[in-house]
Amino acid sequence: MTASATPCFATEGLTKRFPRVTALDDLTVAAGTGVTGLVGANGAGKSTLIKILLGLLPPTSGRASVLGLDTATQGLEIRRAVGYMPEHDCLPPDISATEFVVHMAQMSGLPRTAARERAADTLRHVGLDEERYRPMGGYSTGMRQRVKLAQALVHDPRLVFLDEPTNGLDPQGRDDMLALIRRVGTEFGIDVLVTSHLLGELERVCDHVIVIDGGRLLRSSAIREFTRAEQTIAVEVEEGQRRLAERLAALGETVAAQGRLLTVQVSADDPGRTHDAVRDAVCDLGLSLLRLEQRRGRIEDVFKEPVA
Amino acid sequence: MTEPTAVIHDIGYRHYDGVRLGRGRATLALGVQSLRGVFGFGRTTRAKIMPLLLMAIMLMPTVVSIGVMALAKQFIMPYPGYAVFMQAVIAVFLAAQSPYLVAPDLRFRVLPLYLSRPLTVTDYVVAKLAALAVALFGLLAVPITIQFVGELLVDLPGPPHTADYLGALGGAVLYAVLLSSVGIALASFTPRRGLGVAVVIAFYMFTAAVSTLFYAVLSSTGRDDVAPWALILNPFFLVDTVQSALFGTAPINDEGYPPGIAACLILLAVIALAVTGVLLRYRKAAS
Repeated sequence: MTASATPCFATEGLTKRFPRVTALDDLTVAAGTGVTGLVGANGAGKSTLIKILLGLLPPTSGRASVLGLDTATQGLEIRRAVGYMPEHDCLPPDISATEFVVHMAQMSGLPRTAARERAADTLRHVGLDEERYRPMGGYSTGMRQRVKLAQALVHDPRLVFLDEPTNGLDPQGRDDMLALIRRVGTEFGIDVLVTSHLLGELERVCDHVIVIDGGRLLRSSAIREFTRAEQTIAVEVEEGQRRLAERLAALGETVAAQGRLLTVQVSADDPGRTHDAVRDAVCDLGLSLLRLEQRRGRIEDVFKEPVA
Repeated sequence: MTEPTAVIHDIGYRHYDGVRLGRGRATLALGVQSLRGVFGFGRTTRAKIMPLLLMAIMLMPTVVSIGVMALAKQFIMPYPGYAVFMQAVIAVFLAAQSPYLVAPDLRFRVLPLYLSRPLTVTDYVVAKLAALAVALFGLLAVPITIQFVGELLVDLPGPPHTADYLGALGGAVLYAVLLSSVGIALASFTPRRGLGVAVVIAFYMFTAAVSTLFYAVLSSTGRDDVAPWALILNPFFLVDTVQSALFGTAPINDEGYPPGIAACLILLAVIALAVTGVLLRYRKAAS
């Protein structure tokens, strides 16, 4: 993936103060093409940043641009070229997904016939079949998230802002949504800015991750740099946690105890070695294994590291 | 057994490179969709009942009037008084339909989706106001137009009431603009549709009652000079005053109205106040 001349978006000393809280504090960051993840705890300023980038909220100070357009003066042009999937629910219950997405396409300036075609195409791409003719009031959370994504894509934007698209989804729904986001970024060729409070889920779909906390930039780097540090596996055994930890440490693995969980750092040069070592150690000690999983990188892990 | 002739290919994602219309066309599309919705088109059957029933009630005096003209050769229903005569029906229509236009977008938070597109708060408000105004104009203009056509066909002795008819059409525009801006202003303050309906109908009943009460009290205490001012507290009498001042139609009320110029200014002020209120409310909702 090559970096284009104009970044997807860029901010310069962006600050937004509300009467009682500072949402963004001197944020300078830029994102290239592809899928960019924006990670932060709740209240870190993610949604505020998206509103500023859409040109809907004026910053207190600083500048921001999207696709080379200034958010302060060219909001309309920006909103013509981008799509937005809000975090909150935004679907009227008494109309069907088809009608709703057609209407939203028209609001983006598509003529009615083109809007109908695009809506049918887009709903198919997000995976909504026959149920798209039923009123949306009866949809599951997964279906609602798909419709929200469809309305953001229906006018074929160059860039989409997806605010917490996996919110409220079960693990299977999360996986489906993440796969869909990956497809939007690669197969559809639409640049994506996706927010989440879970770094672990973004590392699976993003090319680049930006971490903000309290409105400040904590880190902005390509995903490879995150995953290298994040590779850990979690092990939980019924009894003999300490014996297992000692055994693994003796084998040269980096082990830490977190309550009932042992987290083992996966060796960067030979990932298979760590997994084998855990398996063998559990077998040799005759322990009953309750859990063995790839640890999701968590945002706290990034917070512990020094800011790059 | 027929061989399948069509095959579905997955052609993947296709980009859209057709025309992209401007803000004006998007606003128009929103207005047209809202107008259709006011009469229940594109909505459930249940949503069609109320507006179509009210439209049917609005047409009843027309039917009676044409019947009397045809059979008894008498003209019983003057055009300029139609709206005042049917004011309760119009008020119910306004109360039932203005919350439909604004409340769901607030309640289900669809508004941010509109505003994330090349549509401004003003475009949104203009589309909604225009949709309701056109609907109200239709509600008033259709019955009197049918009656006028009937009058021409029946061919009563004497000239047709063309000036009255045109004046009433002008009045219908005034009613439509005033009532739609007040209706949307009241309805947009609550995201709950039922409450919106109640607020709009309460506003009408309150102004109608206060107007009648003040008029009765003032005229019985001999304050005949100020009594007419009490009448125009009722929006329908306010428009009737302006209608007779602007278009020279006979006022529905025999007791006399306040000076036309004052009524015109009050009408403009109320419309301006209501529209400003709606815009401010949506500016706040948008941020």
